[in-house]
Amino acid sequence: MAASARQSVGARGEDLAVAELERQGMEVLARNWRCRTGEIDIVAAETVDGRVTVVFCEVKCRTGLGFGDPLEAITWAKLRRLRSLAAEWMSAHQVSASAIRLDAVGVLLQRGQAPRLTHVRAVG
Amino acid sequence: MAQACAWSVALVGLEGRIVEVEADIGAGLPRTVLVGLADTALSEARDRCKAAVGNSGHTWPVSLLTINLSPATLPKTGSHYDLAIVAAVLAAAEVIPRFELTRTVLLGELGLDGRVRPVRGILPAVLAAASAGFTRVIVPVRQAGEAQLVEGLDVLGVASLTQLVALLRGDPVPDVDPIEVADAAPDAPGGRQLDLADVVGQVEAKWAVEVAAAGRHHLMFSGPPGVGKTMVAERIPGLLPDLTLAEALEVSAVHSLAGFNLADGLITRPPYSDPHHSASVASIVGGGQRMAKPGAISCAHRGVLFLDEAPEFPPKVIDSLRTPLESGTIVLGRSEVQARYPARFQLVLAANPCPCGQAAIRGAHCSCPPLAVRRYGERISGPIKDRIDISCVFLPMRKAYLKAALQRTEASAVVAARVAEARARQQHRLQGTGWQTNGEVPGPHLRKQLPLPDGLQVVEAAVNRGRLSPRGVDKVLRVAWTLADLARREKPGPDEVAVALAMRRGEQLEAAAGQDETRGEAG
Repeated sequence: MAASARQSVGARGEDLAVAELERQGMEVLARNWRCRTGEIDIVAAETVDGRVTVVFCEVKCRTGLGFGDPLEAITWAKLRRLRSLAAEWMSAHQVSASAIRLDAVGVLLQRGQAPRLTHVRAVG
Repeated sequence: MAQACAWSVALVGLEGRIVEVEADIGAGLPRTVLVGLADTALSEARDRCKAAVGNSGHTWPVSLLTINLSPATLPKTGSHYDLAIVAAVLAAAEVIPRFELTRTVLLGELGLDGRVRPVRGILPAVLAAASAGFTRVIVPVRQAGEAQLVEGLDVLGVASLTQLVALLRGDPVPDVDPIEVADAAPDAPGGRQLDLADVVGQVEAKWAVEVAAAGRHHLMFSGPPGVGKTMVAERIPGLLPDLTLAEALEVSAVHSLAGFNLADGLITRPPYSDPHHSASVASIVGGGQRMAKPGAISCAHRGVLFLDEAPEFPPKVIDSLRTPLESGTIVLGRSEVQARYPARFQLVLAANPCPCGQAAIRGAHCSCPPLAVRRYGERISGPIKDRIDISCVFLPMRKAYLKAALQRTEASAVVAARVAEARARQQHRLQGTGWQTNGEVPGPHLRKQLPLPDGLQVVEAAVNRGRLSPRGVDKVLRVAWTLADLARREKPGPDEVAVALAMRRGEQLEAAAGQDETRGEAG
């Protein structure tokens, strides 16, 4: 698979993940936010009973199960980086939030089948 | 989200404890966690089970899967939990119905292709399941025969995970070839029987063996090389009567744990164990880290432990037999758990009198310096020698040999019949006490509950002269009772006491007269 094709699979998965988070009532604050440490796929805000939680979401998209479930590719090292990225995003932006949370979305795009999304809350 | 449980058994020594295997499919990144004090072989169960489930056409839950082995404080070892783990996981994932796992114990290791491999200790584990009230066990198909030795349980043998799932779902069970095991379990002991008629001459030694077999007495042979010590010792199990059902279950359970194949049924013949003199303490009494495994003395439970060339064993090894010789059990303590194994064996030692083997033989020339002879004898410690009931010196046969070789000698079956009769008399006398043979009866019972033999003056004299320990007195009494049983007497008389004392001391039986007399009556 060429690099551009890989990027387009990733972008498609992130689009689907954003749609899913919005369907759940979250407000997307940023996509593909980059800094020196790396990139956050999605930053969203979830408001429940007036309390705002900033959600940092890692998206992993795959076109088959040959290398395992997409969520299995989210390793402990990736989560540790996401945690430090979250701290950097919070210090770079003036957002008042009562809590932050790390989520993961696995997207499976198989030929001839509807995309399958798995959203796991509070992964790390 | 979803939770299910299955049942298996943890073995602590020969005692089985029921283990509940819980599987919980919860929210979180896909990960499988195994908790509950598992050892290395058991921690690897996670990866084995995952591959086996995938290769059997089912999916391992893609979620946070927690597997707990309860009670969580009991250390668990071994690979036999695989089947229970997979069953709990598949029940939590609703592949198999949960209610099918109630009152069912699962035992077996999984291969990566989903086939079920045999494991050790099926018999004691199934016994534990039966006594805990379980009604069904699922075991590797090759070990279904072993599990069926326990009555009152449904036994299902499975060859693969596919068969297990079909069985629990009530689907038709597919045919699967059972796994070929490279290191097939050795067959249980007791197949080959040697005949005492093969031994030419050595009439005294054969008599000593007969007495020892009849009363289950400990025995020591000494003599120069090549006179037949090993030959005679190997023929002792053939003289012993069959094991009772309770004994057979105990013996089979130990052998199951030690990895022997019990597919042909319970072990009904007394086992025989003859470790080489390079053996370590752990291999003799049992040992291992975390959970101690049974050693040679437990494999010789209710049978014969023969230590050939006893002075060549490290003294530490032989001295480790002191307590099991008295108590009939061995308790192996480890930091986390204590394992108790039965070890009521009949000890038979064979030794040369000195390194060259010729000391104290009339007409032979011993080339060892006196100090070497003494050192050699001292390698078997006093406390061990004190626990020997019968000492027997083998003499080289010269002129007599050829003559004896032409004579017809008694076959094992003839001797075994006399032994069986003597055993029957002992069992009748010891009814209700829990002991079976004279060798097991404790001293107080011997001295207070049973009538004292006549002619104990010789024993008293030996004690007064410091030639017999208080334990030795009991030993002499026991052997005297066995002699009386072989002679069909109500209680031992002066002859039996004198012969027993001579046998204990390893003196040449000038009591050969007494021997002929008792024999004449027995035959």
